[in-house]
Amino acid sequence: MEFNGDVLTVDMNMSMEEIKEFEEFIRPRIDYIETVEVEEEGVLKSSAFLAILVSLKRTKPELQIPFLDKKMLNSQVHGKIHWICHD
Amino acid sequence: MTKQEQVKAIFIEEAGEIIEKLDIDIIRFEENSCDFNLLNEIFRGVHTLKGNANAFGFTRLGEFVHHFEDVLDHYRSTQDSIEEHNLELFVGSVDVIKEVMTCELDVIDQLPESYAECLEKIKTLLSLKKGKGVVVVEASDNAPLLNDLASEFGLDCYDQYESLVEKSIQVHQAIQTEGFNLYKIDLTLDNDCYKRGFDYTLFLKNLAEKANSMESFFNMQNVPTFDTFRSDENSITQVSVVVLTPLSLEDVEEFFEYLFDNEYRVTFIAPQVVAEVTVAAKAEVVTKAEVVANTQPTKAVATAVKESDASNGATQKSTIRIDTFKLDELFDSVGELVIAQNFIAQNEKIRSIEDESINRAIETLSKITKRIQDRVMSLRMVAIKDTFDKMKRVIRDTSKKTGKEVQLIVQGEETEIDKTMIDSLSDPLIHIIRNAIDHGLEADAAERVRAGKNVEGKITLKAFHKSGSIVISVSDDGRGINKDKVLSKAIERGVISGDENLTDSQIFGLIMQPGFSTADTISDLSGRGVGLDVVKTSIEKLRGKIEIDSKEGEGTTFSMVLPLTLAIIDGMLVRTSEEIYIIPTLSVVESFRPEQEIVHIVKGKGEFVSLRGQYIPIIRLSDVFTLETQRIEPWEGILVCVETDAGRIAIMVDELIGRQQVVIKTLGKSLAKLKEISGGAILGNGDIALILNIDALRPLIEATHV
Repeated sequence: MEFNGDVLTVDMNMSMEEIKEFEEFIRPRIDYIETVEVEEEGVLKSSAFLAILVSLKRTKPELQIPFLDKKMLNSQVHGKIHWICHD
Repeated sequence: MTKQEQVKAIFIEEAGEIIEKLDIDIIRFEENSCDFNLLNEIFRGVHTLKGNANAFGFTRLGEFVHHFEDVLDHYRSTQDSIEEHNLELFVGSVDVIKEVMTCELDVIDQLPESYAECLEKIKTLLSLKKGKGVVVVEASDNAPLLNDLASEFGLDCYDQYESLVEKSIQVHQAIQTEGFNLYKIDLTLDNDCYKRGFDYTLFLKNLAEKANSMESFFNMQNVPTFDTFRSDENSITQVSVVVLTPLSLEDVEEFFEYLFDNEYRVTFIAPQVVAEVTVAAKAEVVTKAEVVANTQPTKAVATAVKESDASNGATQKSTIRIDTFKLDELFDSVGELVIAQNFIAQNEKIRSIEDESINRAIETLSKITKRIQDRVMSLRMVAIKDTFDKMKRVIRDTSKKTGKEVQLIVQGEETEIDKTMIDSLSDPLIHIIRNAIDHGLEADAAERVRAGKNVEGKITLKAFHKSGSIVISVSDDGRGINKDKVLSKAIERGVISGDENLTDSQIFGLIMQPGFSTADTISDLSGRGVGLDVVKTSIEKLRGKIEIDSKEGEGTTFSMVLPLTLAIIDGMLVRTSEEIYIIPTLSVVESFRPEQEIVHIVKGKGEFVSLRGQYIPIIRLSDVFTLETQRIEPWEGILVCVETDAGRIAIMVDELIGRQQVVIKTLGKSLAKLKEISGGAILGNGDIALILNIDALRPLIEATHV
């Protein structure tokens, strides 16, 4: 996880513990962050990662999360994953 | 082509059809924006397109249609009246969809400029409309804003989710091969699953290890906003997995044995349906076809769409999409059948058998063959309505661009025409229509009023049958063509020398000569001729021709005369020496044996026949094809006068055999090089006749005319 100015960069392969840390980190800072970049190297370890991104976007619609906008992930390990947000 | 590619090809074809229909429907809706049934139709098209686009990774298209769909959905559910500028936005959105589709297909990174602008407008409109909706909902309900929106769109969201899963199942069915089973797995893990050590990703990983192909869909609808969100509590309430695997149902279920029963459901998806469908191409043509697709689901690149027959539950009517190449093959085979039947019917030995039962059998065979030929022909025929519908958009756009009010009149849109020709007709029609509005109609309303006409210009699109051909005409009630100006322009440009005695039709035909006129040189013809040569060439490729009729001050009609089909030609059979040739009847003006006194020989230019004051060059087929024959004088033979690109010619032959419809056969490589021949045909007696390319039979007009 890397915070540079108003861009927060996180790894897709966060474990549940790391996702909880991410949640704790971003909760008080959500107003200051403009973009969440996702490093796609590695494997999606928990579906909670997708959930937290969707929740963030739902809370702050102007937040840029390019990874989420792709709506799809092609994974060697999990096959093709789509997320349908209905927003 | 791999199966995946075949599936993609089907998608592209379907998407093309949806977009084409959108293009037509959106204009119809613009004309009557209270027609919410039509709006629903448009919505459904956009909805399907979105699902398809996302399924095939065309995310940019998917993104655009997603927002467009939301806007349409708002209007169809609220039945709000649609403002004019928003209608314009809808029409523009369809244009963007068309362009983005091209970008997706051609893998072009750069999206059209209008994409971002249009998308932004749609989003703004949507947020405006949604904003209004929230106020109403909040007044009656204190639920949070996002939940209100979710519930407003809830049902459709679920539809969208299900539609994507369904699409994925179809895609997997299409690529399914023997030995692989297809399953749909619905996972609905409880919110404490992470604490129990379960995660959707865990199951996906395990399944993927045993899968040939797998696709999963996370329904994020119930993920809450951050104030109530807890990352260690599962808020993803549904994940559907479509998996193609060699595993049995029991083996798949074993993956989930530690979950509660209510948290998973594994459904075995049967291989693509084995369906017996009735193909009703025409009311009287009913063919039963078995679409057996479980082993090779996309083999025929065919999709069968069932429609339940409300009045008769026992009968199922459906359509089947068939590759036109296969239709051509079928048509070819029927052509062979006709030839074989003719051979039997005309065979001297068979005819000499005096047996009534044999004669009756031959007669029955002849009738059945004719019926099969007609029915197979009808399979290729489609109504021109769709093409005419597309032209409404062209007329609307050109009318707006030129600022001219235009009324469109359509006649004969049920006229049927060969599918292959329909595809090639759009561009010439668009060109002629644009010309008619831009240059045919008067420059402005004042000019029309001065001429005693309505302010609104009239464009008539018409299709009808005439003498075994199909005529498609575009008429305007504009200024008409000034013959004198056309003639002087043609002389100035060197298109004609000025000595010719041209008919009206030939004079009007001059405007289709390449580069004949430009807008800045002749005010009342401005633009006519620019690009019309391309139209002419396109129509001639379809073995048709263009006729122009115009009356100054009253208007102009462009008529495209086309053969009924490209697979058969109506020809005049002629004999020269021992060879039989076919002249396309469409080009034949007249045939006659000339008097000696009207035949002239001009030194260095050849033989001519003087017909009603016009000198027509004589072309001897025996010379063209270097046939060994006893040379006779023109007045001893027959002249067939035909209309060619460069004017009339008289083809000299020994004998006229008759008129006959023949199935066109392509020629081998060596004969294909002969520009004077456009194809071949097998006659009833088994003989081969060559079809003449009459335009190649004479050199340029300047070299031969006297």
